[in-house]
Amino acid sequence: MILAAPITYFQAIVLGLLQGVSELFPISSLGHSVILPTLLGWDIHQNDDYFLSFLVATHLATAIVLFIFFWRDWVRILHGLGRSLRDRGIAPDDHDAKLGWLLVVATIPAGILGLLFEHQLRKVFASPEAAAILLMLNGAMLYGAELLRRRAPQTDTDDDVRIAKQVTYTRGFAVGAAQALALFPGFSRSGAAMGGGLIVGLSNKDAARFAFLLATPIIGAAALLKLPQLMGHQGDGVRGQALVGALCSAFTAYLAVRFLMRFFETNRLTPFAIYCAIAGGLSAIVIALQ
Amino acid sequence: MKSRSPALVVAAVVIGLLLIALGIVYWVEPAGSLPSFIPGHTAGSGHHHVKHGIAAFLLGVALLVFAWFQTGPNARGASAE
Repeated sequence: MILAAPITYFQAIVLGLLQGVSELFPISSLGHSVILPTLLGWDIHQNDDYFLSFLVATHLATAIVLFIFFWRDWVRILHGLGRSLRDRGIAPDDHDAKLGWLLVVATIPAGILGLLFEHQLRKVFASPEAAAILLMLNGAMLYGAELLRRRAPQTDTDDDVRIAKQVTYTRGFAVGAAQALALFPGFSRSGAAMGGGLIVGLSNKDAARFAFLLATPIIGAAALLKLPQLMGHQGDGVRGQALVGALCSAFTAYLAVRFLMRFFETNRLTPFAIYCAIAGGLSAIVIALQ
Repeated sequence: MKSRSPALVVAAVVIGLLLIALGIVYWVEPAGSLPSFIPGHTAGSGHHHVKHGIAAFLLGVALLVFAWFQTGPNARGASAE
């Protein structure tokens, strides 16, 4: 049996930097991690055990950065969840509890679908050709969400209160289910969640905030679930690179979330839709010519 | 959250407990030893369906939480109105 070559430290740095940005920008980290190695001629394949182990570390780093960035929000949300469980109900003015249960309800469909179908879908759609085409479709999805968005009156000054008032449990479930699109390499989890948020009436800023809060448990749980893989024999020869990649990923994830929270105060998903359409189209052409 | 029939609460508790039990069965028993009517049964396989187990367990917990809220003072008050 011929063992695939492990990732070099240079590749780990490039892929780590890319992962941190593309996981939070609505442009599909999985799609980019499939397409970029092919375009650069790297002998790295999405379904190789060592690469999956590497991705576990970079995803875990991204989740930790998100958790730290929204630390104060998570403390309030967890207190709200605790209060509602104690009282066996959610007080009408307890927006932290409402937001907490919205996140739980929205996490269920993506979590269940991910647990059941992630492996099969990754095997079927992990080709760079498919990822490039799906990246174009991701662009269409982002643009479509901007066209279909509902404009609800924004009456509250607090971000979380606005989200808790605007999003019902049914809508939260639908936004969460939309995240499952990210099981296909090329579709973006944050893009699907942000698009869903716009359609249920959130502003770009609130949709991004809800998407990032929603991403934290999903990305973190998926990474923790596969952590034994990185610590086991599948991580042999790649742990150092994974650590370097994780640090790079954490760095760019922090910059990305800071940037995006400001960007979406006044901007829309449209630039990312255009990027995905162009990057996906060009990648498809280059890959076809290779 | 508004209110609710006791039958819904009982169903949520029963199905929730069954799903938690199913989750534990997925973790403990290899695919080959699962009853044939359970999804994931593969004759002769020694693979453990850990992810199926997590999914079933979490769904079960979610149903128990749902039942917990349904029997809360707000829900009871709403049903009395």
